[in-house]
Amino acid sequence: MDAILTVDGVSKRFGGLMALSDVSFAVERGAITGLIGPNGAGKTTMFNCVAGIYTPTDGRILFAGGEGEPQNVAGRKPERMTALGVARTFQNIRLFSALTVLDNVRIARHCRTSANFFGSVLRTRSQRAEERAIIDAAMENLDFVGLGETALSPAASLSYGDQRRLEIARALATDPKLILLDEPAAGMNPRETEALVDLIHAILGRGVTVVLIEHDMKLVMRICKRLVVLDHGVKIADGSPQEVRANPDVIEAYLGKGAAHA
Amino acid sequence: MRGAAQSLKYLLLAAALAYPLMPFRDVYVLHVLVLIMVYMVLAMGLNILPGFCGLLDLGFVGFYGIGAYTAGLLTIHYNMSFWLIVPLAVLNGALFGVLLGAPTLRLVGDYFAIVTFGFSELVVLFLTNEIWLTRGPLGIPGIAPISLDVTWLATLLGVDERWRYAFRGEVPYYYLAMVMVALVFLVMTRVEDSRLGRAWLAIREDPMAAASCGVNLFAYKVIAFAVSTGIGALAGAFLARWTLFISPDMFKFWESFLVLCMVVLGGLGNIRGALVGSAILIALGEVLRVALPKLGLPAETRFLAYGLIMVVIMRFRPHGLFTQVAESTMQSSLIKDLRARIAARRTA
Ligand SMILES: Nc1ncnc2c1ncn2[C@@H]1O[C@H](COP(=O)(O)OP(=O)(O)O)[C@@H](O)[C@H]1O
Ligand SMILES: [Mg+2]
Repeated sequence: MDAILTVDGVSKRFGGLMALSDVSFAVERGAITGLIGPNGAGKTTMFNCVAGIYTPTDGRILFAGGEGEPQNVAGRKPERMTALGVARTFQNIRLFSALTVLDNVRIARHCRTSANFFGSVLRTRSQRAEERAIIDAAMENLDFVGLGETALSPAASLSYGDQRRLEIARALATDPKLILLDEPAAGMNPRETEALVDLIHAILGRGVTVVLIEHDMKLVMRICKRLVVLDHGVKIADGSPQEVRANPDVIEAYLGKGAAHA
Repeated sequence: MRGAAQSLKYLLLAAALAYPLMPFRDVYVLHVLVLIMVYMVLAMGLNILPGFCGLLDLGFVGFYGIGAYTAGLLTIHYNMSFWLIVPLAVLNGALFGVLLGAPTLRLVGDYFAIVTFGFSELVVLFLTNEIWLTRGPLGIPGIAPISLDVTWLATLLGVDERWRYAFRGEVPYYYLAMVMVALVFLVMTRVEDSRLGRAWLAIREDPMAAASCGVNLFAYKVIAFAVSTGIGALAGAFLARWTLFISPDMFKFWESFLVLCMVVLGGLGNIRGALVGSAILIALGEVLRVALPKLGLPAETRFLAYGLIMVVIMRFRPHGLFTQVAESTMQSSLIKDLRARIAARRTA
């Protein structure tokens, strides 16, 4: 398997709580991988470790963004991870809500642009060209998720489902190689969820690898090529949706003890 | 409505430009207007921290003081030209801003506010106690006024004269203050509508999401601090060469609080708001200073009035008078183009 991301023995401790214990798995380049598990299993914590928000207590995170050897990125700062090509969305939406839809996405171009204080004040030729390019890139990503026409509305005025799409547009605007989606379908109605499935496939079509945390099992089983199952910070299963569905540990984790034999 | 507001703005600007030339002009009014403009610069500078970045800075006056003393000392010891002093004072303010900011900006919330407060008290203590440098509580009197020496232009034009204009009275300072406000306003609006300003606003809105967009939080907070303190020092340099006397008690904590009130009253993160907030609070302070003694109250009770106003504002307009952030962005030609493109797409 050509792995874009390899999580190798990662643990994360919060005081006395082991949110992740010795978790290892690999994410295949160009595929959709699902990260599932009951509430509090440590899924978001895993995202935060990969995205640089948390430094793992132990273990390695190998990222192979471009050509060349994969590098251990455990403990890198979030902005460094973004520059390397890892983007993410948040379980509880984190938009810049006082700003416009467009500005939310323009900020995401930060790591791919370079104008500084003096360029901004003097409005140099290169600064103006860069500003135009930022708008074009932002609009392209907004159109990609279907929010182009709302570009100049306040981000806070969007519906819940659209706010989730805006977060995806913002993440995509950083030009990622790997995108981590934390419960993107949460709070969406069935029609919005359907559109989301199309969007995720379109993201894959752009050559971006997707890792998805999702509670909607039907959705996960349908679109993920591989699944990783966490429970109480421990990886209990890993494999194709069919394999995972048949795994007694998984059934037990989801339905309680004894369910596997029922 | 929009057109009317626009005309009103130009009318006010024309009146402000013409007032010092009118026969009925009043020195006291001119003085208050210059003071308002000094505070406008301060408020625009402070606005960067709580307004754009969401950082509560309670020590802004420290940098105002650093700018004023830099200018005052360079003038009395080296008789340096104001035009040379301005960049030096700004750089010195920014330098101290970075020196204070770099170790402390990793602190969050209240801790950061307390450290900035401590710093400004430290500045006052330094100015009071290091008598060898600052003359201590006596202050520095006799600072030379600003002069504009354009003899080089005369030489260039082949005129054998000394073209030197010394600032006397309030009028030249009034126009210079206007230029200063206009320049700082231009800088701030341009920064607001740029990669830098967007990074700041992202930090204010959600630091974690900002970092995930690639913004180096620490670096951008330090830049914010440097720009903000540089502008504070600019106002200080002007003050020194305008009042011609500076002393440590001009830079007490109260001033930081006053500027913060202006920014909050105008609307955190709104540049126009900072201007309006300064005008309101300084004008009000002057009115109260005259009115309160007539009512048999000591002039100091005006501080109570300030507090009352802030409470009323927080109750009825919790986000200040102007609530829109990133205003200049919406007026940029690129965004106007985009608006037209989107409208065209809708109709198509
Ligand atoms: N910053 C933190 N400090 C302390 N405990 C945390 C922190 N973040 C997560 N946890 C704990 O770690 C466990 C896993 O949380 P999380 O990763 O959010 O679970 P999931 O996303 O799978 O629902 C939970 O018990 C949660 O309370
Ligand atoms: Mg979670």
